Amino acid sequence: MICQVCGEREATFHFQEMTNGQVKELHLCEICAQKKGLGQTFFMPSFSLSDLMAGLTELEVPLSEEASVTCSHCGLSYGDIKRKGKIGCGLCYQELEEYLTPLLERIQGKVRHSGKVPKKGKVEDQKERRIYELRKELEILVRKEEYERAAKLRDEIRRLEREK
Amino acid sequence: MILQEMANSASQWSRADGPEAEIVFSCRVRLARNLEGFTFPPWAHDSVLKDVSDKVLNAVKRSHYLKNSRLIKMSELSSTERRFLLERHLISPEFSSGGPHRFLITEKREMISLMVNEEDHLRLQSILSGLQLMDAWRLTDKIDDELEQNLDYAFLPQWGYLTSCPTNTGTGMRASCMLHLPALAVTHKIDELMKNISKLGLVARGLYGEGTKSQGDFFQISNQVTLGSREEEVVDHVESVTRQVVGQEKKARDILLRRDGIQLRDQMGRAYGTLVSAYLLRSEEAISLLSKLRLGVSLNLFPQLNVQVLNELFFMITPAQLQVKEGKEMAPLDRDELRAKVIRQRLGKLK
Ligand SMILES: [Zn+2]
Ligand SMILES: [Zn+2]
Repeated sequence: MICQVCGEREATFHFQEMTNGQVKELHLCEICAQKKGLGQTFFMPSFSLSDLMAGLTELEVPLSEEASVTCSHCGLSYGDIKRKGKIGCGLCYQELEEYLTPLLERIQGKVRHSGKVPKKGKVEDQKERRIYELRKELEILVRKEEYERAAKLRDEIRRLEREK
Repeated sequence: MILQEMANSASQWSRADGPEAEIVFSCRVRLARNLEGFTFPPWAHDSVLKDVSDKVLNAVKRSHYLKNSRLIKMSELSSTERRFLLERHLISPEFSSGGPHRFLITEKREMISLMVNEEDHLRLQSILSGLQLMDAWRLTDKIDDELEQNLDYAFLPQWGYLTSCPTNTGTGMRASCMLHLPALAVTHKIDELMKNISKLGLVARGLYGEGTKSQGDFFQISNQVTLGSREEEVVDHVESVTRQVVGQEKKARDILLRRDGIQLRDQMGRAYGTLVSAYLLRSEEAISLLSKLRLGVSLNLFPQLNVQVLNELFFMITPAQLQVKEGKEMAPLDRDELRAKVIRQRLGKLK
């Protein structure tokens, strides 16, 4: 098998990744694998092909429009982001939301964050942090089989979630 | 100098003292975080990277978990030294290309490490031996809380932690287990297994050699998406699927031993024979033989050996580990000779 990068040398590094029942394969020669920072370590490389291939090119947005709206902090347009596959800064998520939302939904699904929340977040985040901490406590109580206290805590979490 | 000191011992997580460590080599949780108000590293100017690294290093100094860690400046390392860190799972391939204001902070046992200015401003990870992913998450979570006391993370309620790559947005968390599955590989069950795992919303990866499709027999399971589920749910899912795979590997080992006991003993005995008597060993050959022997050790066919010795050998014989330990660049043939010597000595001593 010939190396996928240089197309010249024999591939000796073979990597396989499967997501949703679909296989992605990478075959590289030793030199190209080295260049990519891979190579014949017996360990799995700590990178993901999906990350490398998270191609942003599939989204059909007219080019002129992609280039005209830019983020006021980093100055990037969605066109720039698409080319590199990397978002510019935190503010891009707000100012280029119209373009980033379909991209994020395609990769992650139509969902909202429900994980950890920073302790020092803005006022509106603080309730989420409180819920996050209560959930952690709840898990500990359930593990200790303290069901009565766990039930009370669960009610408290539900109450907070309704208020959101 | 720091690296040579590191090369003298294997990382803590290779000690095989965790639960199910004969099959689950290690488990890892990593978090991606960025600072509010600063451009992400792939687009940032050097002056921004410098400001970010100053802030992060300051927070590290105040961290109970990280304050006594080793601080390694990536721009000061040779390419072999960067490979060395890559092979020890302390840095990513992207990080190994170097550049200014990029730092690695690693605690002495190498269980906790932090990359500064990789693709995200912070990449924090914990690696533990065996199947204890929830503990790895709790540890990472605690250090993340600690660092956050002195840092402002980029975060939005809807999107969670904001990251450079949209594949990490949300929790910024990747939870993974590395497995040694020689019996499933030899019975050709891996392809089906990988397919099934990938249908459960997880990612399955394998690294294999020409023809055999199973050189090293190492596989990895990790979560695919980072948005919409809580960290504990994700960790729990990866952990329970891994546990099922462990069960399947154990069953495959039993069957193999009962059905092809003598062939198996023969193969492992030959692997051992080559390892203790060879004077030249190429890296792939050594890995493939060590993998066979590791299975034999797990099946108690070599009472004088233990899994930890094998884990350490996997570690010690890669080109970069050998060269850093020797303190010089070596030609391939010299490495093959040294590799064979290291293995002979380590296994021979235990005879
Ligand atoms: Zn090539
Ligand atoms: Zn921006």
